[in-house]
Amino acid sequence: MSAHGHVEGQLPHEPEKATLEGRNKILGFWIFLGAEVVLFGTLFSAFIALRHQVLDGPHASELFELPTVFAATMILLTSSLMSVFAVQAMHKNQVKSMIWWLVLTVLLGLSFLVLEIVEFNTYVSEGHRMNTSAFSSSFYTLVGFHGGHVLFGVLWISLLIAQIFKKGLTVVTAPKIYLSAIYWHFIDVVWVFIFTVVYLMGKVG
Amino acid sequence: MATQAAHASHAHAHAHTVKRYKGLMDWLTTVDHKKIGILYLLAGFIFFIVGGLEAILIRIQLMKPMNDFVAADTFNELITMHGTTMIFLAAMPMLFALMNAVVPLQIGARDVAFPFLNALGFWTFFFGGVLLNISWFVGEVPDAGWTSYVPLAGPTFNGTHGVDYYVIGLQIAGIGTLLGGINFMATIINMRAPGMSFMRMPMFTWAIFVTSILIVFAFPALTVGLVALMFDRLFQANFFETGSGGNTVLWEHVFWIFGHPEVYILILPAFGVISEVVSTFSRKRLFGYSSMVFALVLIAFLGFMVWAHHMFTTGLGPVANALFSIATMLIAVPTGVKIFNWLFTLWGGSIKFTTASLFAIGFIPTFVLGGVTGVMLASAPADYQYHDTYFVVAHFHYVIVGGLILGIFAGLHYWWPKMFGRMLNEGLGKLTFWTFFIGFHLTFFVQHFLGLLGMPRRVWTYLPNQGFDTMNLISSIGAFLMGIGTIVFVINVIVTWAKPRNAEADAWEDGRSLEWSIPSPPPEYNFKQLPLVRGSDAWWKEKREGKTEMTPAEPLGPIHMPSPSILPFIMSVGLFVAGFGFMYHIYWLAGLGILITFACMFLRSVFDDHGFHIDPEEEVHA
Amino acid sequence: MSSNHSVSGEEARRHKVEGPQKHIVAFILSLALTIIAFAAVAAGDINTTFTYIILVLMAIIQVFVQLAFWMHMKDRGHLFPIICIVAGVFVVFMMVIMAVYWLWW
Repeated sequence: MSAHGHVEGQLPHEPEKATLEGRNKILGFWIFLGAEVVLFGTLFSAFIALRHQVLDGPHASELFELPTVFAATMILLTSSLMSVFAVQAMHKNQVKSMIWWLVLTVLLGLSFLVLEIVEFNTYVSEGHRMNTSAFSSSFYTLVGFHGGHVLFGVLWISLLIAQIFKKGLTVVTAPKIYLSAIYWHFIDVVWVFIFTVVYLMGKVG
Repeated sequence: MATQAAHASHAHAHAHTVKRYKGLMDWLTTVDHKKIGILYLLAGFIFFIVGGLEAILIRIQLMKPMNDFVAADTFNELITMHGTTMIFLAAMPMLFALMNAVVPLQIGARDVAFPFLNALGFWTFFFGGVLLNISWFVGEVPDAGWTSYVPLAGPTFNGTHGVDYYVIGLQIAGIGTLLGGINFMATIINMRAPGMSFMRMPMFTWAIFVTSILIVFAFPALTVGLVALMFDRLFQANFFETGSGGNTVLWEHVFWIFGHPEVYILILPAFGVISEVVSTFSRKRLFGYSSMVFALVLIAFLGFMVWAHHMFTTGLGPVANALFSIATMLIAVPTGVKIFNWLFTLWGGSIKFTTASLFAIGFIPTFVLGGVTGVMLASAPADYQYHDTYFVVAHFHYVIVGGLILGIFAGLHYWWPKMFGRMLNEGLGKLTFWTFFIGFHLTFFVQHFLGLLGMPRRVWTYLPNQGFDTMNLISSIGAFLMGIGTIVFVINVIVTWAKPRNAEADAWEDGRSLEWSIPSPPPEYNFKQLPLVRGSDAWWKEKREGKTEMTPAEPLGPIHMPSPSILPFIMSVGLFVAGFGFMYHIYWLAGLGILITFACMFLRSVFDDHGFHIDPEEEVHA
Repeated sequence: MSSNHSVSGEEARRHKVEGPQKHIVAFILSLALTIIAFAAVAAGDINTTFTYIILVLMAIIQVFVQLAFWMHMKDRGHLFPIICIVAGVFVVFMMVIMAVYWLWW
């Protein structure tokens, strides 16, 4: 436990909030997340409204496989924990372990995506396409939007890892790491509602 | 001498070679909120002229019964594009022009929180608007009304690319608006000068703050609605296809969940402008400041709970209709509070009748008329009678033209010297007011009665001798008069341009807020030293104590500025290109456009913006 | 704003001591809530309405846990983040009511 303070050349304790730009970014990002809540909320309400309109296509309870969804949920949850550890490492100024936690986050995110693509493929082969019914359209749009967010997050965090290698942890890069972690948790929060409303409630009927 | 050298070395220490552009490139790369405000004004006004011409064509067609000036399908295209253009591409950008020009100055900030995003917001709006209007040249124009109700706007009944232009154009423009909302929320929360607490902010800043909140929470709903409609049209999805289990009423709900807050996004900034103008030219403190703030917040809150009053005749059941009726009528209460506060501000003031204050004073009774018809429409059973008649057209033009456009004109005449350093000609300004104001009432007052007589809206023409003939003629004459008013305003701008740039810092001599404490137009960095705010109406307070400038809150020193960037422009071009790719199913083009946009995001993330420094002292010496 | 500016030594120390324990607790809590939800569905023979209530309840609790711990919303200086999320949830609440009760009326 060494003394901690603003020594010259050393990062402040919470480097993401050290500059006005950093604080602006964090606030602006939270406002953006507020907008994202409404965005996903609208997709959810469209899905809730249309989820029984299956026509000739398969019904949710026939379609969904609980083990796959459970695996995806665990992967995303764990990856969220990894990104918490990354931010903690950042606060302790341990750049190396931070990078490792970020790499784990990205890998788990990627495996989530692979699982989702495989899952969608299976559904399509079972006759559950974008244009099958109102249920299928709203399902693919909602879950696809979430998947798109995961993809963006994976690309973003990968880019940040590269930047940390190049520029190191500074008051410029720290807010980016912090925000990507917040974004990643947000995606996990949205997934909590997706597995609840789409998959589990769909399974119940 | 010693300090000179010290400053120079200090500036040198921060010297990053930042390329600074001149001429056209300066405008394409600017991240300065004042210049972006001017860009918004220019683009918004051009679209205002386009939308106005469409309105004139509509009124020529309706001037006499059984007219065939335009074909019926062209008429549908005209009303669709008039509504869409006026709301999304004229009114909102002109509001963004005022907020960019004024809000950072009013809160004593050097810039907005995200200058880069600010520029990006402008360019996405601009290219979205251009994309929408290209439809005129392609010959496949949106024709399903500005609300674009399905199934009329769906692929079954609308096979051409018209509605695609609507969907994709608005989607791109909507990104810009959302970015603007986020930016101004963050700016107002984080960038206020020392001493400027929330309850000391000028009323215009408060109005923009609440407006930004509405933008942030309403626009995502539109985004999703447009995505769903786009998927239906381009990828055979079934959101609104009843034959495949979709629901057309879903579009109405989603559109109005966005659409009703949008109405308040339009009118609240006008409320802010009127508050500033009325208080300045009455030379009195704004009456009931805190109740004004409370009313703004309450209107915003209730604004999210009234969307279904646009859909009473859809058949939502008695419970929903009753709830939405009551919630809608409730909004009249905070709005009434604002009206009375303006009247009490005027009461006993030594009123100066400038053009700006004429527009503001004209606004008050006009908006009350629009509000009263609003309460009439809020009553669900009565709405069954008014719905889809000219009564509704009269109502929303009274609140949008009589409210918002009069507010924008007031704001433009008021802040013109601050934006451009030149005073608009008062004689021409008053001519603008009287022609526009009289023209407006001629056009729309009679439409109330046309509606009550049963003339349906959105009809191409009508039969003679139903009692519609004279009133339609009067309405068309009024529209021409409004057109003349707008032309007089343009002439005023051109005449003013030829005059020397000599506006005083406190151009109206009665300025109350911080923007009047700095030169007109302000230097690039706005405030040489950030001001210390010691009360509400900060500048007025200092003036009353005999000061000639604000008390500084920081020592003089080099000022950090963000560097200009062409990336926002290129990113928007990327989205524009991608829009065409999706529309015509040319997927390599769509991919290319998306790639351009993401490449710009990549560059922005990888290359840090160090900015550059300006030394105000050196500028004075130079 | 200025509250964020100077980080007091005491706060820094408190933060340093905290370590990963509480995040692991949050993780285990999330895990448990997820498993309860899945188990309720996998069991299959519970009344549908009751299952719905369990599912929604588990989801809401889990979201609270994650927002508070992982997104730091329980920490100081998060007034505006809370306002943003609550406002968003309010709008979504209205929309869900619409979708469930009014759309197919």
